[in-house]
Amino acid sequence: MYRRIILLATRNRSGISPIAEHSINITNQQETKRTSVSTCPNRQRMHYNKGVCAPNNRPFSTSTALSKENEESSAPKTGVTEAKVKEEEPRKSGKENLLDLLSAMKVGVTTKKKFQALKSQKSKEQPRVHPESMESATSMFQKATTEQQAQKESLSPELVAAASAVASSMPFKKSQTESELLQQLRKHESDTEVHKKGETNNIGNIIADMKVGKHPNARSPNRPANQIRFDDDGRGYTHDRGVVNEFDAVRRRKSLFTGKRLNIFPSTTDTTETEPKEVSVPSLWDIELAGQIAAVIKHLPRNGFEEMIQWTKDGKLWQYPINNEAGLEEESDVPFHEHVFLDSHLEDFPKQGPVRHFMELVINGLSKNPYLTVKQKMEHIEWFHEYFQQKEEVLKESEAY
Amino acid sequence: MAASVLARLVKSGFEFLQTSFRTTSQAGNVEQVRGYYVNWRMLRDVKRRQMAFEYANDRLRMNAIRKNTILPKELQEIADKEIAAFPRDSCPVRIRNRCVMTSRPRGVKRRWRLSRIVFRHLADHNQMSGIQRAMW
Repeated sequence: MYRRIILLATRNRSGISPIAEHSINITNQQETKRTSVSTCPNRQRMHYNKGVCAPNNRPFSTSTALSKENEESSAPKTGVTEAKVKEEEPRKSGKENLLDLLSAMKVGVTTKKKFQALKSQKSKEQPRVHPESMESATSMFQKATTEQQAQKESLSPELVAAASAVASSMPFKKSQTESELLQQLRKHESDTEVHKKGETNNIGNIIADMKVGKHPNARSPNRPANQIRFDDDGRGYTHDRGVVNEFDAVRRRKSLFTGKRLNIFPSTTDTTETEPKEVSVPSLWDIELAGQIAAVIKHLPRNGFEEMIQWTKDGKLWQYPINNEAGLEEESDVPFHEHVFLDSHLEDFPKQGPVRHFMELVINGLSKNPYLTVKQKMEHIEWFHEYFQQKEEVLKESEAY
Repeated sequence: MAASVLARLVKSGFEFLQTSFRTTSQAGNVEQVRGYYVNWRMLRDVKRRQMAFEYANDRLRMNAIRKNTILPKELQEIADKEIAAFPRDSCPVRIRNRCVMTSRPRGVKRRWRLSRIVFRHLADHNQMSGIQRAMW
């Protein structure tokens, strides 16, 4: 309930209370041409789903759950799936619904044309932002109000340009859609960066909020009350615990360097900063010499640990903790749109016909495959291209090429 | 992706020597070359795995063309003939998961790649980590 009010309040630029929104509905409609929701329970369900929606970790996959809700409302189902904007409106008359439908449908077609025009204009290499991230518009908007992060350094200018182009082709609020798209992109970038570096700083964030606890154990072993020992079963002696307890204070220190400095030795700083020497590419002789030195120094492994170390260096043993992407470091630098948007490679194939249909299915499958590198995907596509060129006569006989 | 699946099946590296294979050196005298595999059948299995790895991508693409309702049937028939023309050892069906130690073709547990006899031998001598005699 509160979420709905907040949503309505934030969506209202003029800041009118939600009850009064019903009366100004028409003016809003003319401004923004929103699609309407006819029944109240429908709207409530939509709110609940979007309010609870988890951060969309894969914004570029089709989330059919969200899209199904919109089908029930009067959203247009044009060939373009991008124009799915979920709006919540109080009940309108049937005629207004119909008007909305028609106006929205017209807009949908022009977006498709505009988008195709954009596609043909731009070069192949320019990445295209999939506007399906619009589906999580309300959840994204909610997050925008709660957390204000402005990190623009990580996005490439091409992506920003593509996002602004897509936003300008949308008929609805352009600045808002653009900001939401950019936010999604930034989040994606930050996620991949965190994944690359491993989670190093999060523990610091968590611990920062914790309180420092005092050690209650400071002097209790030295109290006279603790020095008397009592044997429970009448043996006349207790089990001697040894000298371990006397080193308790020393052991409690977590590291060697936390005590107070004694300032006995002067701390030298002249050995640390030396100018970096010129390092040229090591020649084969240098590599050979280094190998010889390493072979002289290397002893046979004295125990199982050294054997495992040797095997890890050789590459016979995996590195622990197991990294699933062990051999694929440079693969993580490849941006996602090269994996997903493979349509540009289909330009050598005929536009119509079964061959095109087949290749579109191939592209679809490859774009969903996270286990192949981009090179491997390209090799698949090129192989098919060559194969169909070789079999051109056969295909022409059966009128397929 | 097919290639990576089959790469896991290739147990040893790509260098292998023939077992008890006689080569002629440059001087002309025949020398024996000692190999690492238990028997010839194991060697043949290794060769089949390597060949299946080489042809994995091609087979995947040819099968994608063949098992299709969209492309014309004449093309599919030609693809059928082409895939039949691949070497016989290139198909993954011919690979047999033999025991790594004894080359036994039957009774091999896939997780350890060992036959049941070797597995039992090692487990009884405490050489298998985490394996214990069952008792319940």
